[in-house]
Amino acid sequence: MNRVHRLKFALWLVVGLAAAVAAARFAFGLGATTNLSDATPWGFWIGFDVMGGVALAAGGFIMTAAVYIFKLERLHAVVRSAVLTAFLGYVAVAVGLLFDLGLPWNIWHMIVFWNPHSPLFEVGWCVMLYLTVLSLEFFPVPAEEFSALARVRRVLMRVRLPLVVLGIGLSTLHQSSLGSLFLIMPYRVHPLWYSPLLPLLFLVSAIALGMMMVTLESHTTAYLYRRKPETEALATLGGAARWVLLLYLAVRFADLAARGQLAQLGTAGWRVGFFWFEIAAMAVVPVVLFSIPKVRRSRAGQWTAASLGVFGIVLNRIDVGGLIHAGRGNVLYIPAWTEIAVSAGVVSAAALAFLFLVERFRVWEQRPADPQADPLTLPEFNKVGMTWLGVPAVAGRTVYSLAFVMAASIGFSLLAPQPVSSRGIDPQPVRRARGGQTLWIDGNLDGYGVSFPHEQIQKRLGGDSSCVKCHHMNLPRDRNSGCYECHRDMYMATDAFRHEWHASPAGGRQACRECHDPALPRATATAKRCEACHKDLIPAGTPIRVKQYHAMGYVAAMHGLCIGCHAQLAKQDGKPEFARCAACHRERRNVIDASVPATPEAIGRGILLPPVTR
Amino acid sequence: MSAAILTDTTKCVGCNECAIACKEVNRLAPDAPRRWGLDDGLSARNWTSIVEGPKRTFARKQCRHCLDPACVSACPVGALSKTELGAVVYDNAKCMGCRYCMMACPYGIPRYDWDQGVPYVRKCVLCYDRIRAGGRPACTEACPAKATIFGERDVLLAEAHRRIRENPGVYVNKVWGEREMGGTAVLYISNVDLSFLAGGHPGGNEPLPERTALAMHSVPFVFTGVVAGMAGLNWIIARRIKRQSEGPDE
Repeated sequence: MNRVHRLKFALWLVVGLAAAVAAARFAFGLGATTNLSDATPWGFWIGFDVMGGVALAAGGFIMTAAVYIFKLERLHAVVRSAVLTAFLGYVAVAVGLLFDLGLPWNIWHMIVFWNPHSPLFEVGWCVMLYLTVLSLEFFPVPAEEFSALARVRRVLMRVRLPLVVLGIGLSTLHQSSLGSLFLIMPYRVHPLWYSPLLPLLFLVSAIALGMMMVTLESHTTAYLYRRKPETEALATLGGAARWVLLLYLAVRFADLAARGQLAQLGTAGWRVGFFWFEIAAMAVVPVVLFSIPKVRRSRAGQWTAASLGVFGIVLNRIDVGGLIHAGRGNVLYIPAWTEIAVSAGVVSAAALAFLFLVERFRVWEQRPADPQADPLTLPEFNKVGMTWLGVPAVAGRTVYSLAFVMAASIGFSLLAPQPVSSRGIDPQPVRRARGGQTLWIDGNLDGYGVSFPHEQIQKRLGGDSSCVKCHHMNLPRDRNSGCYECHRDMYMATDAFRHEWHASPAGGRQACRECHDPALPRATATAKRCEACHKDLIPAGTPIRVKQYHAMGYVAAMHGLCIGCHAQLAKQDGKPEFARCAACHRERRNVIDASVPATPEAIGRGILLPPVTR
Repeated sequence: MSAAILTDTTKCVGCNECAIACKEVNRLAPDAPRRWGLDDGLSARNWTSIVEGPKRTFARKQCRHCLDPACVSACPVGALSKTELGAVVYDNAKCMGCRYCMMACPYGIPRYDWDQGVPYVRKCVLCYDRIRAGGRPACTEACPAKATIFGERDVLLAEAHRRIRENPGVYVNKVWGEREMGGTAVLYISNVDLSFLAGGHPGGNEPLPERTALAMHSVPFVFTGVVAGMAGLNWIIARRIKRQSEGPDE
């Protein structure tokens, strides 16, 4: 495999992984697949996919401006690929946004429901319009290959200048408005980043980023396709980027000084460290490198400076987008691997589209040779298809499909069933209710419980014969097992049967066939019912039928047991308050349990009270 | 009319009747402590909660219904709106789930259905349907201690100041919500500092939408300026290039 094939293989792997995560994202919601929370509602998908993506695509309007407005003919060689990158970048932004939006099928609402006060409304409109402009700017390139499109192409070439001007106007607006988004969050964005000048800072850094991205992309594709990079033109670009970055530094530090935040730069704290790291990567080091003429004109120098700058500015977008926000209640947001996988998948898909288009259309002066066209690297593949999989030289759709499917299956296995199904609830083991005639029911000992007049209720329901009205299942050789013995978690279903235990020595080392008929497949449905051996398991006459041995969560079980009768009685006796929550949830009690050591956690949960001092 | 709620934390005994009434009236499902929740008791299914502050003070947390709400200004599709009665309400049908309102709210009130495949933003709507029909919000009706009361904002503001004046030494001399963020419809008086209710930040008096107003108002001018500037530059540069190419002939 050559360089291009290796890259494409890797990209397909990432796309496959992202596809699996994307399926989980839409099946189980944002909570199951992201680390977003009520404290940090925006995260990596906004910071990187949307804000970073838009900024990365700034090369389109910078290069069209340089070539068509300022007539810098030296840069003409890179304008087509810059427009293509911008177009694919914006498509990636739109696709990435679909993952982040809670209701992505409503994205068109922005077109019909207007709120001109919202910067996001403006960003949305500008992105939609600019995507249209970019597609019209790029369309003449593929149109070259089709004679039927010649007339369309001529029309588009004639309106190119107005399109370029419109594109610059729209880009200026939304590149800066991405900064305006955060003006409304002075209490959330850290003061080292929050500034009334955010729109200006975003615009200036996007211009520099656009230039450096074009540089990076030119060198990367030059390496991939063994093309000659446009080093001379890129040196001009690097020189210009240096001035833009210097302007950025000047504005940023002047702003910090004006807001009196400079003193904070000397303090400790990871956010200050992040600030310096970001500033060094995005501006200081690239400025220094681009200022040395020898470095500016060398391939390695251009590559190093540009990749550092691109990394730094994208990091800046991720920082402002959520990473450095002042956490409410000290909640710190760290992206989940699933979030990063989806973002990487979107970028990889865009990169694959880029490679597809440059191989088929004349994006550079010379179209790179299609590696698959070389018969030596791909012998007879098209004739025999799948059977050639074992040959190392094989590169093509079969291998890519395999990469995709393989990565997707790995992705599905990595998506742990626990977090996906638990709906964001941590395990909380249930403690038994304490008391005598009156029970204090508070499974997780948080102090919010119900004092349950057990004896009184028992009398009301008919004395000793009434036990079975509630106690619908007992442990073997027990008469009235407590609720907590099967419903062992506050919110999650727990296994009341314990298969492992039955198979263990403690459980009598039951051979499989004690429960499973050897002639039938071993499954819950075909196994012997528990009551067949444990005759006392289900008390006679209980109205509650045990359908399966996964006991529901304690809270749901308690509510399910009480609420039905309460609602019925409320109607029957005309006492509506009898069916209300407060009928049982009346008091908060600080439970004192001498058996629990007085750890701070126990005190915090109300298990133990520190001595009251008043 | 401008509907408002006044909560007096010195009267609140922390019985949670308000929160229970809210759940019943708004038909909110039971909730569990979730990974993505905050420890203030609010969630997509709990629109109000009792937060315990210093000196065993109980304060009810809920949407403040700002007079100039940041969430309303932020929503790109206008799913949140400030109604004529003063309630800030949410329209399921318009929302596209960008969560900009949650980012914009200075009090961190709106919560999200993180566990749902079709999630919505959830917060107190001041029982808009009930107050429009002439009723009171369920929480104020349920409060047995009259710690949280409903009425006209001006009347409640006067009442708050009266209580502070007539009980010297009991209250901190401040009505929370009178001026913060440009004023809110939910007012508090208390014997302790209530900044713990607002996520700890001091909270200025400037309405947050004003911070974006300048940037948004300049949009048409920036656009026209950039487009005209670029077109002009292009014309000048093209002319100069043309002259230069004609130059040697003369």
